[in-house]
Amino acid sequence: MNRREFLMAGAAAGLVASTRFAAAATRLDLYTASDANISDFFNNVVKPAFEAANPGLELNVVIARPAAALDAVVQRAFAALSTKSDPQLDIIEQYEPMLPNGGIEAGLWTDFQKAGLANYGAVNKLAIQTAYGLPYRGSQVLLAYDSTKLPRDKAPKTFADLAAWIKANPGQFIYNRPDKGGSGGNFINRVVHEVSGRDPLKFKVDNYTQASADEVLAKAWAVLNDLAPSLYEKGAYTSGNSASLQLLAQGAVTMIPAWSDQVLQAIAKGVLPETTGLVQLTDLALCGGFSQAVVPTNAAHRDAALKFADFMLSQEMQTAVIEKLGGFPGVDWSNLPKALHDKYADVIPSSIPTFPSGEWTKAVQDGWYRNVAPNISRT
Amino acid sequence: MIAALRSGMMGGRLSGLLLVALPVALLIWLVLWPVLQAMVGTVYFPGTGFSTASYAYFFTDDYSLRNLWLTLWVTALTSVLRVTVAMPIALYLRFRTGSVAALVQALALFPMFVPSVLVAYAFIRVLGPNGIVDTVLVALHLPKLMSPYLTPAGPIIGLVWDGLPLTLLLLLSGLGRVSIASVDAARDLGAGSWTLFTRIILPRIQSSIIVTLAFNVLGLFSAFTLPFLLGPASPEMMGPYMQRTFSDNADPLNATTQAVITFAFCAAFGLIYVRAIAKGRKGPA
Repeated sequence: MNRREFLMAGAAAGLVASTRFAAAATRLDLYTASDANISDFFNNVVKPAFEAANPGLELNVVIARPAAALDAVVQRAFAALSTKSDPQLDIIEQYEPMLPNGGIEAGLWTDFQKAGLANYGAVNKLAIQTAYGLPYRGSQVLLAYDSTKLPRDKAPKTFADLAAWIKANPGQFIYNRPDKGGSGGNFINRVVHEVSGRDPLKFKVDNYTQASADEVLAKAWAVLNDLAPSLYEKGAYTSGNSASLQLLAQGAVTMIPAWSDQVLQAIAKGVLPETTGLVQLTDLALCGGFSQAVVPTNAAHRDAALKFADFMLSQEMQTAVIEKLGGFPGVDWSNLPKALHDKYADVIPSSIPTFPSGEWTKAVQDGWYRNVAPNISRT
Repeated sequence: MIAALRSGMMGGRLSGLLLVALPVALLIWLVLWPVLQAMVGTVYFPGTGFSTASYAYFFTDDYSLRNLWLTLWVTALTSVLRVTVAMPIALYLRFRTGSVAALVQALALFPMFVPSVLVAYAFIRVLGPNGIVDTVLVALHLPKLMSPYLTPAGPIIGLVWDGLPLTLLLLLSGLGRVSIASVDAARDLGAGSWTLFTRIILPRIQSSIIVTLAFNVLGLFSAFTLPFLLGPASPEMMGPYMQRTFSDNADPLNATTQAVITFAFCAAFGLIYVRAIAKGRKGPA
């Protein structure tokens, strides 16, 4: 065989091999609209482990940011349900199963209680909001601060303490724009909770009315506008979760609201120093929640998607959620090694209040831009 | 192909048309058709008829008008700053040669190869609070910088740096038309530098400056990354505002309305550009 024949034979063999692999592997399309730490986790940790454990299955991580891009994908899946066509979507890593309106009634989302997942019994009962979403990881917004400037025993524990601290230390606190990452958004949601009697259950996906929003949000804007002159640069707001972390890391501010998983990862990687303190408000915690994975009933690879969902609940993946992601496990701690529980004891939440997505979130975000963001004094 | 081009007048015309057919078709398909769709879609609603309510809303909504106004003045100021900064460099590069000039040229064109996200993060590291500039100032026992990060000055500084190469290249091509002989002749007659610039050079590059400004305005109007990462939360430039209206508020009608209004402003500058080009074609002014 001369060189030329060898090359041609090699190319032909390669072609056959590649088409055979392409035909053999079932490609699961997983969508995510979460931050880069989550999509990286799926690409770098989950994908290799899942594919090694399930030969013949391939995980394709599709990034659909921002959340509204994912809404469009879900609308497509919903439309595909009525026309009985392929939604080109097998699983969403995190989505509100109550949306789109009428989706559950029409049978869009898979009922996990009846899906026969081997690990479903291990799921933390407190985390299950609906049978149509599978809580596989949680995270919560808390306050991250520089303990060299603010001693750990002086860190605010209630909203009133926090507001007083912000005013007593002008320029040392910043939160990000509510639509550009949930840490700032959930700080604003906490203010909405504060002015409405600290009852998160008052806000539901389906109970938004213009009148109730106008009333409660006007009070929230008043609180936020009162704090604005004491914020960094007398009312500046960063453009995202990581921009806030950067200001804390550069020592430009002393305290920020931050996602527990992002801040734990940042400390682990050395982006934030070991002296970074974490504190949660005790009168009512800042919002957070469990990420609910959803699987459309009309997914082309629904069985494989359910296999994947089960895999995410395995001890291996739940440990990875804690250790690699800095998140909370979706399964009950009793199913995980005790050493792990002890190591992360100080960030294990006692309660995780939530704020509904959909109309309420839209009203809070756009209202904030119109009523709070412009009030900045440069003098 | 070459043979076809030479095969006579008619054939030449036909292949000429064929050559431009692809770009023209792409222009119609990807630009003109969506624009038309957007314009019709914001005023005509199947089933309910014509309505200009979304435009009325935009032009009576203080918040939207503030955003438009900010976009206009950031665009104007940044365009003028870019030309002001690029002009001395262009003059230097036109009339000087050697290794120093080559170095200046390389440095001035460098931003062209840097993605704007990197520009933004580099900016935060250097000019941001407790950034490199602050570190140097503190080491020299000087007060810290009033950081432009998250203020309206932030995106302007970023955009000027980011857009410098294109401005410089356009001005340089204009300056190519100024002959060194005419400059030398004027200098022999005793013209000073300022007179030389205003009487000899400027008249020759007038149309280049207009083209440069028009190009800058078109790019700046749709600026997104730098205003979003470096600027204040509000007022927003039209780029981030449109994106937010479309995706966060899930309000395609108002987002499209904002886009059509933005397009109208850009089209006006496009017209100025086309006229400048046409004037240039007829011969130097």
